[in-house]
Amino acid sequence: MNRATKNRALTACLALVGSFTVFSFRLVHLQVTQHDEYAAKAADAHGLRVPNYSRRGPILDIHGEPLAQNEPVRTVIADCSLIKDRDAMADIVSSALALPRAQLLEKFERETYSQKEKKNIPAQYVVLKKEVPENVAMDLADALAARKMRGISFAQETTRVYPNQQMLCHVLGFVNGDNVGVDGIERTMEQYLRGHDGFRYTERDRTGKEIVPYRGQEKEARNGYRVKLTIDMGLQNIVEQELDAAIKQFHPKSATVIMMQPRTGEILALSNRPNFNLNVQDNVPEDFRRNRAISDMVEPGSTFKIVTTAAALTEHIVNPATMIFCENGYFAAYKLHDHRPYGDLSVTDILVKSSNVGVAKLAMQLGDQKFYEYVRRFGFGERTGVNLPGEISGVIHPPHTWSKISISRMPMGQEVDATPIQMATAMCAIANGGHLMMPQIVHDITDDAGNVVTPFAPQEVRAVVSKSATDGIRNALIEVVSPKGTATLARVAGFKVAGKTGTAQKYDPKTHQATHDKYVVSFLGFMPAEEPAFVCLVLLDEAQVSHDKNYGGLVAAPIFSRIGERAARYLGLTPSAEEPAGSVVASQNIRD
Amino acid sequence: MATNRRRHANAIPIASFMTWGIIALFALCGGLSYVWCKNQLYNTGTEIHALERELAELKNKNEVSLSKIAQLSSTAKLQERYNTGFIKLVPITNDHIVAVGNAVPKPPAAGELRPVSNERTAP
Repeated sequence: MNRATKNRALTACLALVGSFTVFSFRLVHLQVTQHDEYAAKAADAHGLRVPNYSRRGPILDIHGEPLAQNEPVRTVIADCSLIKDRDAMADIVSSALALPRAQLLEKFERETYSQKEKKNIPAQYVVLKKEVPENVAMDLADALAARKMRGISFAQETTRVYPNQQMLCHVLGFVNGDNVGVDGIERTMEQYLRGHDGFRYTERDRTGKEIVPYRGQEKEARNGYRVKLTIDMGLQNIVEQELDAAIKQFHPKSATVIMMQPRTGEILALSNRPNFNLNVQDNVPEDFRRNRAISDMVEPGSTFKIVTTAAALTEHIVNPATMIFCENGYFAAYKLHDHRPYGDLSVTDILVKSSNVGVAKLAMQLGDQKFYEYVRRFGFGERTGVNLPGEISGVIHPPHTWSKISISRMPMGQEVDATPIQMATAMCAIANGGHLMMPQIVHDITDDAGNVVTPFAPQEVRAVVSKSATDGIRNALIEVVSPKGTATLARVAGFKVAGKTGTAQKYDPKTHQATHDKYVVSFLGFMPAEEPAFVCLVLLDEAQVSHDKNYGGLVAAPIFSRIGERAARYLGLTPSAEEPAGSVVASQNIRD
Repeated sequence: MATNRRRHANAIPIASFMTWGIIALFALCGGLSYVWCKNQLYNTGTEIHALERELAELKNKNEVSLSKIAQLSSTAKLQERYNTGFIKLVPITNDHIVAVGNAVPKPPAAGELRPVSNERTAP
């Protein structure tokens, strides 16, 4: 090999070594120095975190009937950059989704500014319609696939469905567009109903398809828990029907019925009017959404007399047979009237005849402070703690703010503002022997497999009055429903019913005086009186009946009777041997 | 002698060829197997993906059906159907209900005639 050849070979070798050295440096630079940067870019291009959405838990009644559940729906989305024939696409989508063609064309022509390309490009994410039923979406997908048209995708979502529509609307509440509870049980049980979304790390190819073998870390979604209520839909249906009938008959401004199990405080049925359809919530007035059973306060009227009488009996100031002089119908010192002129009445008869004077005298014997203590012990003036949002405490003024006549007015349910649920809870305490129970609406919370996650046991708030006092009140309340009482029309053939009527004049905020044409009428009772299966409150605000018929005994008591009769049959209650199954004759004493 | 020289000059190393041939064959088979396995992996992945989609669609259909069943068998719907006469039920009126109490009759006195024989008596 001559010298020139050697030089050429050496040059070639050096060039090769040099170029390989440069490549090696570049390789090291890319693989080591800039590894993280390029790895991140690759992960961005191919890596994918796919969310695994959880389902919201259902709400069930005590027997497992679904009251709120999910239904899969689709959101139809357009990628305008992929749509080639906009007119043809608009025709197909318009007929499938029942959307105006012009509106669709306007959406297909939308553009967005691309930072990458520095110009406007067709929008890649335009929502055409939400909550499209699954079958409609699938039909549209098939139609597009048959014509080989691209540009429409279907995002999987769920919508909340309430199979019973209006029924129980104020208890169940509803969710917002993000499936978050905003009212009722949907709101208070949000932490249990809401599930936890899962995820999966995976990779996709250049067309965006998932590369299944490259799947990485994965976490399963946990669906929301099942919330079982204490509501019995059989009883709820009875209450709803009778309330509808009452609305047709009396056209009240509003109405509430609450049915509770007195021993446990479980709410068996709860209904308000006006109500609304949970599945169609557009343009529902705010007033219709309010759960009046817990967020409205009314003067309870004569139903409140049970509190005064029970307090007097517990303190042994009187016994059921003690005679009280009722001032022959007018208590001049306090300008207090009775409906009829009564002379001496026993404590039992004070309740039976609903004597305002008699019950005022009982409160006076108790004294301001003691009477106030008992009112508070019955739960008035504080929230009951029921698992529903928006509960108010009502208003019970302390003795130092009372006027001279307050001690004569409060015992008969005036100058007192209470919620219907407080009234029903107080009656539960009378029915169960003196224990104030916290109203319970949630029975338990279970997972998908039926395992109890959180039990909700009955809670006793406090012992309120003595057993002997409640026995005395119970006997008096049975008499109230007898022919000589004010609630004859609350009788249920074959059963002993105990209860108290209430008729309260409404307060006019303009004149600051009680009106003479607007009343809140109520009946609060329980049956069977010997061993109560339920306490039921029927309350109507401004029933449209003539002045001389606007009494709890004439308006609310018959509704209780009808509910009681059907409920007894539904619950399979054994009739009392002592009670005849004959027809009910209205008493002349119904003036309360 | 000439034969031996020719043999030595033009000898074909069959054993060596065979060895390399077999190695190449193994490498080829290995490579093909790798590609085949990789292909299978992707195909199975695609099948898994398709099955998952099908399963999700079936789950959705099932949920839609369950929702419809719940709506059609809800208390409100059944009441509506009863009201329209779709469900032919006749409400039992009170005068057609016999209430059986828990009262236990007294044991009969000696010689007393008993109107029924199947009632239980107190001990």
